[in-house]
Amino acid sequence: MEKTRISKIQLFTLLSGFLFGSTVIVAPVAGAKNDAWISMIIGGTCGILLMLVYASISLLNPSKTLVDILREKFGKVPGSIVGVLYVWYFVHVASLVLRDYGEFICTVTFPETPMIVVIVIFAIVVLYGVNSGIEVIGRVSELLMPVIPVAVLIITFSLFTISDFTAFLPVLERGMMPVLDAAFSYITFPFGETVAFLMVYPHLNRMEEIRKTVLTSAVILSTLGVIIFFRDIFVLGTELLSRATFIPHVTSLVFPEINVDPLIDINLMIAGGIKISVCLYAASTALSQLTGIENYSWLSGALTVFCIVLSVWQFENVLELFTWTDKIWPFYSVPFQIIIPLVLFVMSLPDRKKAANHKD
Amino acid sequence: MVLIVLVFALFIVFDMRKFVRIKVPAKVYVLYFAIVTASLVVSLFLASGKRPYSPAKVIEAAIKFIGIEK
Repeated sequence: MEKTRISKIQLFTLLSGFLFGSTVIVAPVAGAKNDAWISMIIGGTCGILLMLVYASISLLNPSKTLVDILREKFGKVPGSIVGVLYVWYFVHVASLVLRDYGEFICTVTFPETPMIVVIVIFAIVVLYGVNSGIEVIGRVSELLMPVIPVAVLIITFSLFTISDFTAFLPVLERGMMPVLDAAFSYITFPFGETVAFLMVYPHLNRMEEIRKTVLTSAVILSTLGVIIFFRDIFVLGTELLSRATFIPHVTSLVFPEINVDPLIDINLMIAGGIKISVCLYAASTALSQLTGIENYSWLSGALTVFCIVLSVWQFENVLELFTWTDKIWPFYSVPFQIIIPLVLFVMSLPDRKKAANHKD
Repeated sequence: MVLIVLVFALFIVFDMRKFVRIKVPAKVYVLYFAIVTASLVVSLFLASGKRPYSPAKVIEAAIKFIGIEK
């Protein structure tokens, strides 16, 4: 394993960037319409619990990555097979975020630029970060992450004068089922995707801080998500909100006098960049551990190329992408995000004493 | 098509220089070329307008087959 250390602040900013990721432009709870805030609270609470399970797995298996834990708990061969599936999963998450980024930029900012050009340029920057190591990605996120809440709050407060504060009413007009469906989607995207951090947590310099850091970043990002939802619904209303492809973009168009779309682009570049970097880092380190290759950066380039191709290959258009992520993604993610981690957590519980001794 | 092959060739040459300099083990070459070749083949299919059956479609079919999503 790479001998680098990240601080709790860096982990906090990495987690925050990862959670913000493409949720800046893709609203996983849009299906619940004006009740999406309830979905966000329910899904956010369950998502935070899930993230705490991941943190506990890491605490119960100190200094071990996901691949080490899988091999130890499931046996060398079955553990390695599940490890390969996780490599695929991390590359897949990265490719979806890359595609979200490409679609957004080519629809909104550079409509005449081919999407592949936008994706390749972004991927080159991300690859440079991945090859530099998790410490560098952590430092960059530490430097850039504060921009995100500032940009969000600038847009939110500036739109106060044209907001209809009753737009989220009536509550639960269509019953509880759409709310619960959207809450489930919100657990798997973005909270469950932080399973990739099981490859990052062993680099934390003070492991005892892990739960607190995870909890703080998840609570702050959930709150920010709810603020963004209320801003969008107050400005756009339920109907426009449910019909918009990129909701924050439509909100920014309402902004009086000036164009604030670049602020959303910047947020997506920072948070999306962090998310893709962490996913590709997790995939590269997991693959190098599985194959016994000492330096993960030897494979990161090839994985990034595959990720670019996969992002273009998967969907023919943005509607196909959104339908798939809305209908299929939550169920496809369940084994990777919930079942396997819960099994690992239960299997790690007998090691509590060993983990306590390691801490001492 | 030619452009894609050229981009891949450039990328491989860039990485190979590094690999030869630090004398990486043979398994790195095997894995590297397996992943890059798969990417190149899919890219060429996409460039020729024949989109291969994508992983997203396979996953969707599997989930519909299980009966979770209709």
